[in-house]
Amino acid sequence: MLLSAQNVSKAFGSFLAVRGADLAVAEGEIIGLIGPNGAGKSTFFNCLAGDTVPTTGRVLFDGVDLTRSSAETHARAGIGRTFQVPATFEDMTVLDNVMVGAFLRHRHRADARETALRIIEMTGLARQSAQRARSLGTPGRKRLEIARVLATGPRLMLLDEALAGLTPTELQQAIALVRRIHELGVTLVIVEHIMEVIMTLAQRVLVFNQGHVIAHGKPREIVANEAVIEAYLGRGHRRRREAP
Amino acid sequence: MRWGLPALAALLLFYPFIFTGPFYWDIGVAFLLAAISASAWNIVGGYAGQVSVGHSMFFGVGAYTPLLFYHLWGLPPVAGVPAGMLVSLGLAVAIGMPTFRLRGHYFSMATIAVAELIRIFVGTWELVGAAIGLQGPAVGRAWWDLTFRSELPYYYIFLAALAVVLYTTFAVERSRFGYYLRAIKAGERAARSLGVPVRETKLKALMLSAVFTSLAGSLYSIKTGFIDPESGFGILVSVQMVIVAALGGAGALFGPLIGALILVPLQTATNTWFGGGGSGLTYILYGGIIVVLARFEPGGMHEWWQQRAAPFLTRRKHAA
Amino acid sequence: MLLAQVIVGGLLLGAIYALFSSGLTLIWGMMNFINFAHGEFVMLGMYVALLVVVWLGGGPEAFGFAAAFALFVLGVVVYLSLIRHVMRGPMLAQILSTFGLALLLRYTAFWIFSANFVSLPQVSLSGTLNVAGILMPVPQLVAGVAAIALTFALHLLLTRTTVGSQLLAVAEDRNAAMLMGIRPDRMQALAWGLAAGSAGIAGALMAVSYPWSPSVGETFGLTAFVVVTLGGFGSVPGAMYAGLIIGLIQALSAYWFGPIYKDIVVYALFVALLWLRPQGLMGKA
Repeated sequence: MLLSAQNVSKAFGSFLAVRGADLAVAEGEIIGLIGPNGAGKSTFFNCLAGDTVPTTGRVLFDGVDLTRSSAETHARAGIGRTFQVPATFEDMTVLDNVMVGAFLRHRHRADARETALRIIEMTGLARQSAQRARSLGTPGRKRLEIARVLATGPRLMLLDEALAGLTPTELQQAIALVRRIHELGVTLVIVEHIMEVIMTLAQRVLVFNQGHVIAHGKPREIVANEAVIEAYLGRGHRRRREAP
Repeated sequence: MRWGLPALAALLLFYPFIFTGPFYWDIGVAFLLAAISASAWNIVGGYAGQVSVGHSMFFGVGAYTPLLFYHLWGLPPVAGVPAGMLVSLGLAVAIGMPTFRLRGHYFSMATIAVAELIRIFVGTWELVGAAIGLQGPAVGRAWWDLTFRSELPYYYIFLAALAVVLYTTFAVERSRFGYYLRAIKAGERAARSLGVPVRETKLKALMLSAVFTSLAGSLYSIKTGFIDPESGFGILVSVQMVIVAALGGAGALFGPLIGALILVPLQTATNTWFGGGGSGLTYILYGGIIVVLARFEPGGMHEWWQQRAAPFLTRRKHAA
Repeated sequence: MLLAQVIVGGLLLGAIYALFSSGLTLIWGMMNFINFAHGEFVMLGMYVALLVVVWLGGGPEAFGFAAAFALFVLGVVVYLSLIRHVMRGPMLAQILSTFGLALLLRYTAFWIFSANFVSLPQVSLSGTLNVAGILMPVPQLVAGVAAIALTFALHLLLTRTTVGSQLLAVAEDRNAAMLMGIRPDRMQALAWGLAAGSAGIAGALMAVSYPWSPSVGETFGLTAFVVVTLGGFGSVPGAMYAGLIIGLIQALSAYWFGPIYKDIVVYALFVALLWLRPQGLMGKA
């Protein structure tokens, strides 16, 4: 197991955002994480990435207990993540953004620059490399975030709705990009609402609702799962499906 | 701006011979001093975005130690410069370590509180002259006392110091440390997620800034031959650094220079126009400038130039 | 007994610290924003009191209300014209905005009123109470009690009224509050008005017993920082206790070490707090 989360809970005051969530990801897998808004997916991601310290439970990466470690430590260990609302360095250029990521693996500017340029090329941002991140639209920012975290050379990437809000063409390009990243050997855990992404990319899917995992299996199984449909769409939908 | 840098260097180098006489040399020295302190502040306040409003603590320490070394042991004031830097480093650690693991506001509040604390304390401490302050050698015993009659030698010493500070900032800008500073300013949370050691980096920036600010203070007291709690640790010293850097462009290499270029002549002018009570009006103006900057253009003149003016002048940029 | 007197005096002044600091912590909790000009709001309250007494011949109620009202308006104006805009910007802009405002207010006050210390002419309250050997000047006593009452009233306003719960809702979760139909902008403007108003009235209360000049704003501002840090992020009850504690510590420091040390000890305490317990009394670790 590359990444394993055991019985992770996170409480904010009296509100339990994540309740006893488990996750086991083997190296090289692509895992999908779905669930309605407010189900606790992002908070769970924050626990996995070290952004928040879980109230209970453990997070282990490659056998090392990272539960109480900082986000920096997680990143150095090889966990990268993107943010649901893109957090690019607005006033820095695209190149500089990616270089910040690259500096995790390189001491010197020239090396960082080289890696950054290569990744910018790979993610299709070459034309905008001298532009400030601020001037990119949301899809551009999401792509930049992916490029930036890819430059840190992660072993595992947590993508939080990185493919949301794209046109059909852009979506296909993004899916292709995620595949290429996977081919490079990066393990992926993807939070998405777009079923197409989950169906085409994910090998296994976990369904989150109200802070814990309610279902877990192959994409096809999940889509047919009653509990999942109910969680997302409410009881009405089930009745509609049953009618002729 | 390939031709810009050598032109600037030449202008600074030959300024005293283009604008001759004590009046202009005085302004030149004041300009350089403002540029040095603001550039020092810029490292932590501009690049890293950690806004210190009590930087006078480092300036004051750097200003006091040379004259203290002279006062206590008869040593040439220059001998006290490294000690000032060391104490400043200690202060930086004492303030940075607890506050850099908290939200940014705590750091800013702490800087102003500690600067005040030191100012009041020094004002009561007989050893360092209490409210009266300290004086340097009235007449130099040898060249190393650095008591020159004319402003000219000071001008070149200060210019050398400015060159050192600017070059260091330039080197930092291009290094991993510099990228990390800017990342922290642009988004701490994202920076963390990329492995940036946030607390360490902020601390290093503060320490570097403290050392250079201390140097600026030392240069000031060596030249003036006098220091007291107000001129060393007063809030107006902190304000001066902040406004010069912010007006010119916090986080830009030449920002502080631009700011000093605007504010030093301005201050000389307002002091002349408004007479004795002028300094009160000057600070009303400063307050107003800072508020306007914060509200409309926090990036200062440098940002204004880049975003508004430059695109009009270089048509190529429009293609983006 | 001199020590008891020092203690009582410290607590009474501390009550006033509690009053003006509670406004600062309210804003801090709501908007994650520290007002570097808060001390100047107190200072202006003192001058409003002076103007009301000297020009209009008003009594204690008059100048108290006048200070509260004038500063309430100023607080709202500052929020609408400045704060609202810088909130969306970088940290540098946020800190510089009120720092610059502080300078502006302070030096304008210096220009208008000069640097001389002034005090409020003798008002209707005077005399000294003698309670069990402890001498308490009536003006200070009334001011201190009024301050505690007002701070408590602010706390009740926040926790017991609809408006208060709306303010707290915005502090807790801006987006959720918006979904509930609460307008964060309005609530924040109101919070600024309340904070400035309570600073103003605290100033008026202080003007009754202590001489001042425009320079006091700087000290009050710093005192407020220490109080809100000791009290805990966003906690009005915390600010109340912390204010009293700081007033007490200050008075004892002056008594034991000398008047010069009253501020030194408080600022040193601040640094110690940042090292040892930055969350203060009521904050979460």
